[in-house]
Amino acid sequence: MRTKAISLVSTATLALTLTACGGGGGGDDKSVTVTMWGGQAQEAHVASYFNPWGEEAGVKILQDSPTDYAKLDAQVDSGKVNWGLVEVEPNYAETACAEGKLEKLPERVVTAAQEAEVDPAQMNDCALPILQYTFSIAYNTDTFGDAHPTNWEEFFDTEKFPGKRGFWKYVTGGIFEAALLADGVAPEDLYPLDLDRAFAKLDTIKDDIVWYDTGDQQVQLVASGEAPLVQAWNGRITQAAKAGEPVANEYGENLISYDQVVIPKGYKNADLAQDWMVWFLENPQAQADDVEASGYGPASPKAVELVPEDIRPDVAGGADVNDQTATLIDYSYWAENYADVTERFNTWIAK
Amino acid sequence: MSLTRSVTLEKSGRPGTRSGGPSRLRSKLRLDGWGLLAVPLLVFLLVIFVGPLCLLIAKSFTDPTVGFENYQKIFAEPLYLKILRNTFVTALVVTVVTLLLAYPYAYLMTIAKPFWRTILLLLVLVPFWTSVLVRTFALVLLLRDTGVLNTIAQDAGLISEPIAMLRTLRGVVFGMVQVALPFAVLPIYATMRGIDTRLTQAAQGLGDRPSGAFWRVFVPLSMPGVAAGMLLTFIQALGYYITPAMLGGPKNTMIGELIVQQVSTVLQFGFAAALAVILLVTTFVLLAIAGRFMNLERMLMGRS
Repeated sequence: MRTKAISLVSTATLALTLTACGGGGGGDDKSVTVTMWGGQAQEAHVASYFNPWGEEAGVKILQDSPTDYAKLDAQVDSGKVNWGLVEVEPNYAETACAEGKLEKLPERVVTAAQEAEVDPAQMNDCALPILQYTFSIAYNTDTFGDAHPTNWEEFFDTEKFPGKRGFWKYVTGGIFEAALLADGVAPEDLYPLDLDRAFAKLDTIKDDIVWYDTGDQQVQLVASGEAPLVQAWNGRITQAAKAGEPVANEYGENLISYDQVVIPKGYKNADLAQDWMVWFLENPQAQADDVEASGYGPASPKAVELVPEDIRPDVAGGADVNDQTATLIDYSYWAENYADVTERFNTWIAK
Repeated sequence: MSLTRSVTLEKSGRPGTRSGGPSRLRSKLRLDGWGLLAVPLLVFLLVIFVGPLCLLIAKSFTDPTVGFENYQKIFAEPLYLKILRNTFVTALVVTVVTLLLAYPYAYLMTIAKPFWRTILLLLVLVPFWTSVLVRTFALVLLLRDTGVLNTIAQDAGLISEPIAMLRTLRGVVFGMVQVALPFAVLPIYATMRGIDTRLTQAAQGLGDRPSGAFWRVFVPLSMPGVAAGMLLTFIQALGYYITPAMLGGPKNTMIGELIVQQVSTVLQFGFAAALAVILLVTTFVLLAIAGRFMNLERMLMGRS
């Protein structure tokens, strides 16, 4: 009997503690929790366009990181949603939106996006683009001082440009698009991707591929010369170059990508989060500030004009980069094929 | 189970003196008095370990559909079997290398003077107290093609081309052994310290050569520590995630990485749960096989 009583008490205490923890996160009335990928980029975004809005609207900005789709799904499924504005990849947003896990954008946000001239291809029913970047050819300026690859065909040419190639170990990381462009597929014919052809092209340089998982790794790979050529996120390379590393971006046939921001279904302060969306769209200056601080391109083209002239050539969404762009990555294709291609990719990569 | 063990251990001075009695279960668990202190831990384990484990097993059979689909998928795809095999092979290699390094090291600690023993102990423990993540990042800088080791060897003219260590099994083993070393050195050292040195002296006194006394007397007596170190290293190594993820290439993927990938990028919880269950079951099977050849409980629990 005694044991039973004690275990009951212990269980009750534990249960209480758990509930207290679970309930505590959501917090006070006027707050919005912003969840992004973390690091310096998140600091820049929060400083440029979350905190200024919070001060203006009297809303407390709380932060979490990194974005984790499993956690987001679990929050929505359990009905305890702590995350308000979450930075996600567009293919996830499309899938999750269709599954009813995200709040739909209200009319006022859609209108504001139109007025801000946001590319409709970068929107969906639940998601707003928050930033753009592009998959560029990053190269080591010491290794390739005179001539460097200027398109994906040359990037795949290991005879003309010897050395390891770095790719993101991630199917939506632009690797298949680059392989097909290198193999002579016209940009407008890329989607749906001819995966057999892409894998065949990748097979030709497989031994020379080095895989990276993070933004820091790609900079290390190019800067150290371990992989003097990397299909990279342009902002990371720009910032490393600014810090004096021997790296540079080549924008020939760059592949534009973007991140979106979504509101998980059932978030208690969804209306506040939507207020922020409108404010964000109506404030190109805040976006321009973020471009300077984070190295990412802005969601609305209007912001590009407000960016200082010297950094404009490296802004995804700006004319200098966009004139050389091969295509915008088609995340609808990826929403549909992500799981299958991931499985095939993993099998291929481990062979 | 753990309750029985911990209580038995405390009273190991006179094992099994009181058996039978009015309440069999009560006397079996010895839940009177001090034994109650173990109850909070038991409840804690139930809530944070046994419960979730049951949920996990249930999920592997129910998500996304009820049945054995997830398990069929594992056995239908050669890649997953390869990763599973890779996991056990890597863990085995790591265990062997770790033991080969740990045994002489622990022996050195037992025969060293107190001052040097402290130094040796610190050398094992200081990395143990440092974050695995930090150490692994440091190893990346050390091992990569343009890293410290390769640069020095190249500048010294020892090698002309960098030796690939990062993204190979070599790199993974290097990193994992480094993490596992304390878990092998400490139990082996603890056992060796308990060995009565007069026994080897007696063996020599009875005419054995020093090496014979070492191999025939000292080594067998140190086996409980070796078994403990081996099991700790091996079972731990099976679940490694960060080290192989950072130091290995795609060909060195271990099951921990695959599970993370399934949970956090592809969001297939049921499949990830099935992988975890397979790992758990395989580990149990291996332990059972090991148990047939050695008395695990005595080796791990007892020093006698």
